[in-house]
Amino acid sequence: MNDQAQPAPRRCSVLRTFCTFMLLSVLLGGCATKSYVVLIPSPDGSVGEVVVKGEKGEQKLTKAGQAGSLDGRALQVEDKQVKEDFGEVMAALPKIPVRYLLYFSAGTTLTNESESLIPKIIAEAKTRAAVDISIIGHTDTVFTDPYNNQLALKRAAKVSDRLVEKGLKANSLIIESHGKKNLLIQTPDNTWEPRNRRVEVSVR
Amino acid sequence: MLKIIFMTYLFLVSHVFANEQPIGHVKSVSGEATITSGANKIKAEIGSPIYQGSVLQTGKKSGMGVTFKDETVMSFGADTVFSVDEYLYSPIQGNLKFSSKLAKGSLNYVSGVIEKLKPDAVTVRTPSGIIGVRGTQFLLKVEE
Repeated sequence: MNDQAQPAPRRCSVLRTFCTFMLLSVLLGGCATKSYVVLIPSPDGSVGEVVVKGEKGEQKLTKAGQAGSLDGRALQVEDKQVKEDFGEVMAALPKIPVRYLLYFSAGTTLTNESESLIPKIIAEAKTRAAVDISIIGHTDTVFTDPYNNQLALKRAAKVSDRLVEKGLKANSLIIESHGKKNLLIQTPDNTWEPRNRRVEVSVR
Repeated sequence: MLKIIFMTYLFLVSHVFANEQPIGHVKSVSGEATITSGANKIKAEIGSPIYQGSVLQTGKKSGMGVTFKDETVMSFGADTVFSVDEYLYSPIQGNLKFSSKLAKGSLNYVSGVIEKLKPDAVTVRTPSGIIGVRGTQFLLKVEE
């Protein structure tokens, strides 16, 4: 009787192990795919940082493909899963904005090289749906804030005039001045720096 | 009386949004998507404006792409609710902040200028935590 009974419990324990394994993988798989964040390279190829804070802790993601749960735990997510979860979202990403830098030989006079960018900006704008344009004037750090805010605005207005004259059409066009608060080249105050005397045209 | 107060409130809210500058615009839509700004709910179309406080929603098998003033780019998948709680982009005054919330759904995020000028200025909240962003692209999924 013992001989007959023994095989049965063994089969049962194998089955139980198998069931436990299946249940665990379903649970773990379920956790991994439910809610998460995953870092991927920026369009320019660089990889920044994401910090996730929640009641389970804090995770700093610094490598492409690194993932975290939203309550702050580390998480392993397969590439295949990421593609499945985000394929459509990634395909819907709008065209990445392009930024042009225009420089001035003196006051509000564009350099020849920058003048030749005007038609290129208009051509880029035409490739986009409902294109939005920001024209942002900047100065170097010589003189006061009010002076530079004004000068930067004049530079931006000049570039806007040139673009509109040459036929730019946009869904929205904003002219702004960042004065000396958004330097391209970091310098101390009262520093003469031609590379900071610029207008940025953001085509989005 | 309450009704009058409510109507005045509605008027003020829509008035405020009408006078405010958009912080971003819709660039792509598929299926059903809406933008709610104050009391004003519109069907999202290419070129539709987004304001501080706007709530963006997509339906089943739908999606939407948005580009913000500071060049932050986002796209949303199906069944998504995303809100812009605070968006400040005026470097002259030193006001730089972008806080948003993904209540549910999926998001592809590409960093803009705000966080370049001020690290720690950009956060995305979810129902179970908060995400701080520094100059990168990430994917985020919130399932209820």
